[in-house]
Amino acid sequence: MSRNVLATIVAAAALLLQVAVANRLPLPASVSPNLVLLAVVALALVNGSMTGLVTGFFAGLATDIVPPADHTIGRYAFVYCLIGYVCGLAADDLERSPVLPFVAVAAGALAGSVLYAMVGMLLGDPRTRWPVLSHQLPVQVLYDVIASPFVVWAVLRLTRRAERQHDPGGLDAVPGFYRAR
Amino acid sequence: MNDTRRTRAVLGVLLLISLAMITVDYRGGEHSPLRGLRAFGEAIFGPIEDAAAAVVTPVGHALDTIIGSPDAHRRINRLERENQRLRQQLRAQQIDKSRAEQLHRLLGTAGLGGYRIVAAQVISAGEGVEETVTIDAGSGDGIRTDMTVITGDGLVGRVTQVGPATSTVLLATDAASSVGGRLEGSGEIGVVRGTGRRSGSPLTFELLDSTVEIKPGQRIVSFGSQGNRPYVPGVPIGTVIRIQRTPGSLTRTAIVRPFTHFTALDVVGVVVAPPKKNPRDAVLPPAPPKPKTPSPSPSNPGPSNAGPPNAGAPAPAPTRRASDEPSAAPRAMPSAEESASAGPPSRRRRSSTATEAPRARRTLTSTEPPRQRRPRTPHSPGD
Repeated sequence: MSRNVLATIVAAAALLLQVAVANRLPLPASVSPNLVLLAVVALALVNGSMTGLVTGFFAGLATDIVPPADHTIGRYAFVYCLIGYVCGLAADDLERSPVLPFVAVAAGALAGSVLYAMVGMLLGDPRTRWPVLSHQLPVQVLYDVIASPFVVWAVLRLTRRAERQHDPGGLDAVPGFYRAR
Repeated sequence: MNDTRRTRAVLGVLLLISLAMITVDYRGGEHSPLRGLRAFGEAIFGPIEDAAAAVVTPVGHALDTIIGSPDAHRRINRLERENQRLRQQLRAQQIDKSRAEQLHRLLGTAGLGGYRIVAAQVISAGEGVEETVTIDAGSGDGIRTDMTVITGDGLVGRVTQVGPATSTVLLATDAASSVGGRLEGSGEIGVVRGTGRRSGSPLTFELLDSTVEIKPGQRIVSFGSQGNRPYVPGVPIGTVIRIQRTPGSLTRTAIVRPFTHFTALDVVGVVVAPPKKNPRDAVLPPAPPKPKTPSPSPSNPGPSNAGPPNAGAPAPAPTRRASDEPSAAPRAMPSAEESASAGPPSRRRRSSTATEAPRARRTLTSTEPPRQRRPRTPHSPGD
């Protein structure tokens, strides 16, 4: 239960940071790191597919309706749900490879942007045309990879602390334990 | 737990829901039933975003300042340079405007007198007691030594040295300068000497005939040198403001206030071709509104006893003047000064340059009264 609460909190915080801070950063190429996507990927990597897809769906839905948004509702929900699920599949391998989070984040960012753009193209969205995308995609992926250690680290840290508080008895409550079952 | 059947089921359901939402929202367009969802988001997230922005915005500004600081520096530099340049342009424009005005008046004067002039600009002034200026026109512009230099107001001096692109002008106020002058109206001739810009009254006028009466307010034009060099005839020199009586002296001296502002010389004209006919008083600005009435000269005009000490002692001038004397005064001259004035030639010239003359005259008239009244009080009779 506490994991779900934590996931909600993390997603909400990421959404707020995304809208209030990241989107306003005067970064080169006027692209900003996609913190919500990063949070979804991190949560999925730590907690598995189920959490990943549910969190992805609701975080995407929130992104769809948070004030500056002006696109067809459901687009981000669809994309983040899928990303959360796929990244959650890799959760078992998290402890085996130290570079996995980065690969997952890069792949997730790329896939997320492409999927979103594809849905947009299906719907005839004039904002997601190829010339725009070809400029934006590499920078977007780069920014996401640069920002990913912080997000993944924060999510891991929060998860562990929450689980320790949840089981004060000193059960060996590390994520690996759950995943091993 | 990971990737169980249940997970896949949930995934399928959620994906279906999202696809349904996309479809409904897309098909619905403006009237989509999911607009309510967005309104809900607005209501929930709006205030939170507001609060977050209140915290984040100052930080963002600080970040902006740090990130944009090199750019801002460059921008400030660029703006400052631009500012400087614009200010300079503005100044130059003002100077240009005043120069254009001076040039206009100069042309008017030259047109009145029938001079051909080369316009030039004063680029430097002599130091110390030397009252000289350098102008930016030289032999390449057709300037030779001993040419008359004028402004729109009156006489400036004569060219003493000519370089390829610059020349030196000896001002009429220099103590070494003496110009043959003729009293307006009566036609009495004398010598205008410079006494230096720094002495309160830069010019003095000595009549050759000590018996001739001079009144303050009478004006002096150049008399003309032999061969029109160094001084062409008819250039306005100044106004008599005071008479200095020297006991025992053969001549009487008048203090003259020059028409030209010698301390603010800018655009000048070098007379490269003298008028074909002596313009006499025609170039003088119109007389002030309340002219002093000079008594008709009792003595016979014409200097018979002594030649003018000026470089050009003009032999033909007195005879020409004597022949002109009985002719009628031109219209511009007040009736009080009609005893001896410019004859028909000058009148003809004035009508020929009628387009320029009134304008030039009007500008001169406006400056005339204060120029005459002002100097009378501050100057002590000592100078």
